[in-house]
Amino acid sequence: MATSDAVAARERPVATPPAASRPRPGGVLARVIRHRADYLYVLPALGVMALVIAYPVYFTVYLSFFNTPPNLALEDKIFVGLGNYGRILAAESFHEATRNTLVWTVFSTLFAFVLGFGAALALDRELFGRGVLRGTLLVPYVISAVAAAYVWRWLYHSDFGVIGALLVALGLTDGPINILDHRSRVMPALIVVNVWKEFPFAMIMMMAGLQTVPDQLLRAAQVDGASAWQRFWHVTVPHLKGVSLVTVLLLLVTNLNSFTIPWIMTGGGPAGASEIWITHVYQLAFGRIRFGLASAYSVILFVVMMAMGWIYVRALTRGEDRSPG
Amino acid sequence: MSHSGGHSEMDRRTFLAGAAGAAVAGLAGQALAQGSKTGIDAATWTPQHIASIAGTAEYDTAAECAKIVPLNHSGRLTYWYFGPTQASPQIEHELDAQFWDAFGKLYPNIKVTKQNLSYNEMLDKLRTAALGKAAPMVARLPILWGVEFAAKGQLREFGPPDVGYTADEFWPGALKSVTWKGKTYGVPTNNETMALIWNAGLFRDAGLDPESPPATWDDVVAYSRRIKEKTGKNGYGMVARVNAGNTPFRFMPQLWAYGGGALDEAEAAPTYKTIYVNNTGSRAALQASYDMYVRDKSVPISALTNTQVENQDPFIAGNLGMMIAHPAEYAVMVERARKATGDDRKTADAVVSNMRYGLMPKGTARRAVVFGGSNAHVFRPDLVDGGLDLGAAKAIIAFATGPEWSTKMAWVGSNPGNLRGFRTKWMKQRLEQIKFLNVTTSMLPYGIPFPVLPQSAEIMNIVIPNMMQNALTKKMTVAEATDDAAKKIKDLLGDL
Repeated sequence: MATSDAVAARERPVATPPAASRPRPGGVLARVIRHRADYLYVLPALGVMALVIAYPVYFTVYLSFFNTPPNLALEDKIFVGLGNYGRILAAESFHEATRNTLVWTVFSTLFAFVLGFGAALALDRELFGRGVLRGTLLVPYVISAVAAAYVWRWLYHSDFGVIGALLVALGLTDGPINILDHRSRVMPALIVVNVWKEFPFAMIMMMAGLQTVPDQLLRAAQVDGASAWQRFWHVTVPHLKGVSLVTVLLLLVTNLNSFTIPWIMTGGGPAGASEIWITHVYQLAFGRIRFGLASAYSVILFVVMMAMGWIYVRALTRGEDRSPG
Repeated sequence: MSHSGGHSEMDRRTFLAGAAGAAVAGLAGQALAQGSKTGIDAATWTPQHIASIAGTAEYDTAAECAKIVPLNHSGRLTYWYFGPTQASPQIEHELDAQFWDAFGKLYPNIKVTKQNLSYNEMLDKLRTAALGKAAPMVARLPILWGVEFAAKGQLREFGPPDVGYTADEFWPGALKSVTWKGKTYGVPTNNETMALIWNAGLFRDAGLDPESPPATWDDVVAYSRRIKEKTGKNGYGMVARVNAGNTPFRFMPQLWAYGGGALDEAEAAPTYKTIYVNNTGSRAALQASYDMYVRDKSVPISALTNTQVENQDPFIAGNLGMMIAHPAEYAVMVERARKATGDDRKTADAVVSNMRYGLMPKGTARRAVVFGGSNAHVFRPDLVDGGLDLGAAKAIIAFATGPEWSTKMAWVGSNPGNLRGFRTKWMKQRLEQIKFLNVTTSMLPYGIPFPVLPQSAEIMNIVIPNMMQNALTKKMTVAEATDDAAKKIKDLLGDL
């Protein structure tokens, strides 16, 4: 026990060490050698990751420096250096896709989180049929995104969609409402579908988080005369800070990577109104055979995603970095 | 049926000589101008001529195939094609099954692995597969796509002589679509043109002559508006979805009719170097669409997300006045009517009985239609998953592009790519059974092939529909939308 404490103390500096005492490269190597058995165990996994992640990443970066040749043959690609990056950043389609991506990501994440949190709070209480409700609310999450996108596409259909027919039947509109074929309505409509699909995930995460709020604290606050709102705001919310951050970050990453719903429902249309980064990259690569341009686009997206990943990992490991004191 | 090769050869020679003679005789006037783009002489290929030659010759498929690949050839074949879908009439599914059954009996030692892919997924999948050296040995592709793969160097040189046929047995326009830089990369399987169909009942309700289709595209706009005003139903089945093959097949005829185009593909001797998409004709054509969609609201609002399949339901329900349709549309509607029940059945039956086919409307410059179809291509051996069995590839292409199966496989939706198919008893049977086939067939001389460029798929499936969407959503004016499209095409040509 004493030995393990000593090792722990050696490996977890109590405070930020002075520059002179920071681990040197030689130290890292020594640690790798010391733990060589551990590294051997993870070597196969690292090998697979190198094959399926590192090589594609390398090849994407490599391709991003080339242009598509006149005959569209990849083997005849033309080196253009950073030309593709310049073209993308100057293109109006990039600016439009970026605006759309921001709207899509921020609003999808916000509404999915708020709705999921609300549902989690509601289902955290003892109420009749809680199990059935919980199962029912999970349905959108387990439905295939492809199937959901097709169903919603028909629900929204501008000429014979159920939603339009319902509005007409209720006397709210004279004729079917143009949803997916309208430039300013299409994105909100897609966000509704995405939120419907994603909020159960936020709900599960927040329900798990709510289990960690100490009951004693809530009771103590109640004894001290705290109102329901005060107990929620001063006890529950601070305890959910960590899980909320992780949930929001995961939703942000998922939404930045969204493809299925916008692609199937609108293909990025009408007139680019629902084109987001990922659908644009797909269109460039497979619709227009501009692999170089699509790769440069992907690299830009990769950098953004890596930044978000870094924040995510930081958020996850923040507590672990601190000394137990 | 004659099983002697000699007899078949005699028929073939007689037929080809006759066709050539007729073609020479028809070299005059507008027919010449139209025919020069596809090689189909309007003066010869009349419904009467087609009816007169149908059933006049018999061919022995087995004997013709055996000359190319011995019937005991043992091997394997991978084959991708755009075959019958759920929206296809039942007969197409049955004929597809019969085709594979017959091929299996003719070549029992060839193990076939086939994939029937939808139009929208096939192109992406094939591009990826070819890059990943996992292409099929043979692919039957829509006419627009082959040149892209040829330009990339992914196809093996392969033409009609490789399967025992001569170039004369196919329309020049079809052969042009498989030709890249003077070399041939495929064999036409089928060729067709579309026509205008209309609901005579809705025309009557709108106070229009039920038996007269709109003669011009300006009339289409006016008729569509009148139908909407008088009946509250949509007049014309516009399609403007991006990345869907249906859009260019419906909009390009309009563009060409007004004297526009993507490039100069509608001219007698296209160079594919001059951009027409923002000329006066193209703007007039786009304005006509704008008038129908934005000004008159006489077409489905969902035109921007619809494919042609989404026009079929409103049409059979009597809620759509006119649309540009495939030769197969009548069979589709008959089948839909048969499946309907109760009051729906009565409505559907009434629509079918009121269904009419007519020539595509004219524009200020011409009458035009897309010269469509499919071609069979062979992929380069090093790109084929498991290697190329050339014998098996030749066997399937000889079988599929011969007079018998190129006719049967085009039963309701097209016409035989092999012109000898027009002389078969099956062609006669088709003409007797399929209503309006003569109308769509008589549109063939007005057919205009898409530009034979590797960028054609992008221009037709992305640039042109985007131009429509930019104007129809009022993101841009008509002029701006055409200029934007012109700039995009110029960039693409710049890449060339």
